[in-house]
Amino acid sequence: MWTMLGLLVIVSLAWTAFVKPEQERQQAMADSGLVADSYTAYYQPSEQEEPQFLDGLKQFWAYTGFRNATSGHFVMIVIGLIFIFLAIRYEYEPLLLVPIGTGILIGNIPFFTDGGMNLQVGIYQQGSVLNYLYFGVLKGIYPPLIFLGIGAMTDFSSLISNPRLLMLGAAAQVGIFVTFIGALLVGFNMPEAAAIGIIGGADGPTAIFLSSRLANGSILGDGTTVKNLIGPIAIAAYSYMALVPVIQPPIMRLLTTKKERLIRMKPPRAVTKTEKILFPIFGLLLTCFISPSALPLLGMLFFGNILKESGVTKRLAETARTSLIDIVTILIGLTVGASTQADIFLTKESVLIFGLGAAAFGFATLGGVLFAKGMNIFLPEGDKINPLIGNAGVSAVPDSARVSEMEGLRCDKTNHLLMHAMGPNVAGVIGSAIAAGILLSYLG
Amino acid sequence: MQQLIISATTTGLDPLTWTIVIVGIGIVFIALLIVYIFFRYVLTFILNFRFRSFARKKGIDPAEIHNAKTIQSGEVNAAIAMALYSYFNELHDVESGVITIKRVSKNYSPWSSKLYNMKNL
Repeated sequence: MWTMLGLLVIVSLAWTAFVKPEQERQQAMADSGLVADSYTAYYQPSEQEEPQFLDGLKQFWAYTGFRNATSGHFVMIVIGLIFIFLAIRYEYEPLLLVPIGTGILIGNIPFFTDGGMNLQVGIYQQGSVLNYLYFGVLKGIYPPLIFLGIGAMTDFSSLISNPRLLMLGAAAQVGIFVTFIGALLVGFNMPEAAAIGIIGGADGPTAIFLSSRLANGSILGDGTTVKNLIGPIAIAAYSYMALVPVIQPPIMRLLTTKKERLIRMKPPRAVTKTEKILFPIFGLLLTCFISPSALPLLGMLFFGNILKESGVTKRLAETARTSLIDIVTILIGLTVGASTQADIFLTKESVLIFGLGAAAFGFATLGGVLFAKGMNIFLPEGDKINPLIGNAGVSAVPDSARVSEMEGLRCDKTNHLLMHAMGPNVAGVIGSAIAAGILLSYLG
Repeated sequence: MQQLIISATTTGLDPLTWTIVIVGIGIVFIALLIVYIFFRYVLTFILNFRFRSFARKKGIDPAEIHNAKTIQSGEVNAAIAMALYSYFNELHDVESGVITIKRVSKNYSPWSSKLYNMKNL
């Protein structure tokens, strides 16, 4: 009975919505810029006695997702569902994977696009709501706002108390440049390779920022077309960030000895308020004078931190680290997810990007851990660094620091490395933003 | 440099690639190294200078102030903060210790009345 009732509702809705006089339909087509030939291919009014009802149903069918679906759409929907499952079941970066996963579902609902018809529904269709929201990704507006929030919630104390840990943040950026070379070797052009390389920074907003500037479908001066790789790069970056607890530990164990994993580090000293205020101010001036192209990211990061540490702008800091970053995370996650429309996302390039992304994370981890071991050669006994915190040089805040803590606890239940690992972790954010700035200054 | 160009040609990479890679890694390291030097030496020097001048004004031995500043490690601060947090957040009002069963009188409503249900109509 319910099935019959449902069918009746659908039929009546179809009748109300689609059965219109021919003149009105033509007018609507002209308004939406529809090419008449392609449309009439699906909608041919019959000349029988009761043509309108069947024609309306045919038109309704032509507009449904079932009629326009391809196997690619279903593949992407499954990927979206996996993202949501991972976020809910295993709590892998749920704040990112739930919006992205849902975005993938939204972006892969098939709709009528034959003949270039613009229903103003899809993310790539001008005038659609999603297209307006996607503007923030395309123009690199969201990433600096995310950095503002990150700055307002980051405590640089562990870095200030032990500033040599900054160098681990620099060492882990090796992953970016190794991947850059790898991407060039597999056939990407320079701007595309640079955008792919930044996945090694393990920083989603930075990856989106750089890919929106370098791999955005523009045409270079020599006539070469740069592919639009924002979607695959962002998805790869966020996916691997979520998989940090899976990717990093084997590499860390492989590169360190049991004795090194047991190293106890000195507790960080107390940091004064003056130092906390001076860090973002001088950090901003020093890093941005060296790499001005990183200004949108680093400027906002340190601005957020000044709001936090100044102590006189509590309301602003509170907004930046709660409401603002939440809103932008929702928008960025949803639109990046929705940008993975099957016809654009399921390409050979995406597969390559995912492969290179995995390598990028591996090399970044390797760079950080090996550099920590290298530093230990020169450090006196009793002041050595546990190389397990080297992996935290990839930004992925705070997941990679958490991995250091867990790996440390596996060897010694009383050796807590979290506080120490937060130093290279936030240094990695600064390092990856500087690297992005350099790539942008050469290729932007 | 000649070596770099030769290796770039053999691997099919543009020489600009190597420039970007070397300059890129170099600048990331230099930028963070400068920040390190600044906070490790310059800022420490400035803060120590401030402490010394403060001590001189007050007529105290600068070493004494320095010790007073560094004596509290992060762990001590964390322990104090935890104790304060536990104290203020786990406070309970004094409870009477009397357990009572409250009788709740049901207000009459025709909507829940058994007298007016369908069967009795």
